[in-house]
Amino acid sequence: MRYIWLIGLCATAALAEQPILFPHNKHMALGLECLDCHSTADTRAAAGMPSVRKCMLCHEKLATDRPGVKQVRDYAARKLEIPWIRVYGFSPSALVKFRHAPHYRANIDCTTCHGEVAKATVAEATVTHNMGTCLSCHRQKKATEDCVACHY
Amino acid sequence: MAHRWGMAIDLDRCMGCEACVAACHAENNLPVSDPAQAAKGRAVHWIRVDRYYEGEFPEIRVKYMPVLCQQCDEAPCEPVCPVYATYHNPEGLNVQVYNRCVGTRYCGNNCPYSVRFFNWFEPKWTAPLELQHNPDVAIRPGGVMEKCTFCVQRIERVKLDAKAENRPVADGEVQPACVQSCPAEAMVFGDLNDPESKVSRLASSGRATRLLEELGAKPKVFYLQRGK
Repeated sequence: MRYIWLIGLCATAALAEQPILFPHNKHMALGLECLDCHSTADTRAAAGMPSVRKCMLCHEKLATDRPGVKQVRDYAARKLEIPWIRVYGFSPSALVKFRHAPHYRANIDCTTCHGEVAKATVAEATVTHNMGTCLSCHRQKKATEDCVACHY
Repeated sequence: MAHRWGMAIDLDRCMGCEACVAACHAENNLPVSDPAQAAKGRAVHWIRVDRYYEGEFPEIRVKYMPVLCQQCDEAPCEPVCPVYATYHNPEGLNVQVYNRCVGTRYCGNNCPYSVRFFNWFEPKWTAPLELQHNPDVAIRPGGVMEKCTFCVQRIERVKLDAKAENRPVADGEVQPACVQSCPAEAMVFGDLNDPESKVSRLASSGRATRLLEELGAKPKVFYLQRGK
């Protein structure tokens, strides 16, 4: 048990340190939408993280003098992906299979589960994800409450 | 109308190649047992092929019978679970919820078909086999029961795809790994609530029998063979 606690502690410490302090708020203020970068949230299980190439579609030309953008361009020049640190996600022991697509199609707003990421500077887990939050929403929307809809 | 999933297995077509067993292992992240564990009866196979010998050598005839969880309507495993880890879902699947399971093994003892398996230890794979895990299926921890799910991950995926395209699930669209891999097409999977589905027609044909039918568990796997 002690080791599990230690791993948890390391994971929490790591969460604070993203490789690039990506400002969601600045990108959203420019009129981008969540799906522009997390482009498979409407069709697939995973919402998806944008590749460096996608960042470079804009940052080849735009805002090239900013320190954060310079870091992105550095990754792109070295042909490396940015090792983003996961903010949300279920632990493997939860045995949950979450799919974004059906939630998107049911018109659940991204902020329901991800909070005001659009206004955040660096992405942080602000909404608790546990079975209580899932089930209360499923009950309100009269969605399935069958265990095997998520746990298999 | 809700689905009611069922399977038909044509025993006259089955030649015991065990492709279904291999496909099930790959699809459902089943660990490969070592001989010592297998000798203790701890090998895990969600589907197995039973062999029956008729006659004496050299006039011998072997009959094969793939046996998987029969997804009984009156499942003997369900009422004995003290924590409701195994229950009947609205689509007639006999579901095992690993998160709830505390490992009493009552369900396995009460199963007349011996298709439930207990994880005595944390599952292990010899490298690099762990790299081929199916991300759609949970890695079951040690101390819980597991069994055939009728590849519920595939059922869920097909249902969601159909819903996204605003159409009903077509007959034969859901294919569990065993059905998909069967080279003789001996296995058919589908909706028993749809009288036009292939599995419904096979299940109501005169060739259909159910395993240990006299126990009254009402299995949803139908075995087809010619009458005697």
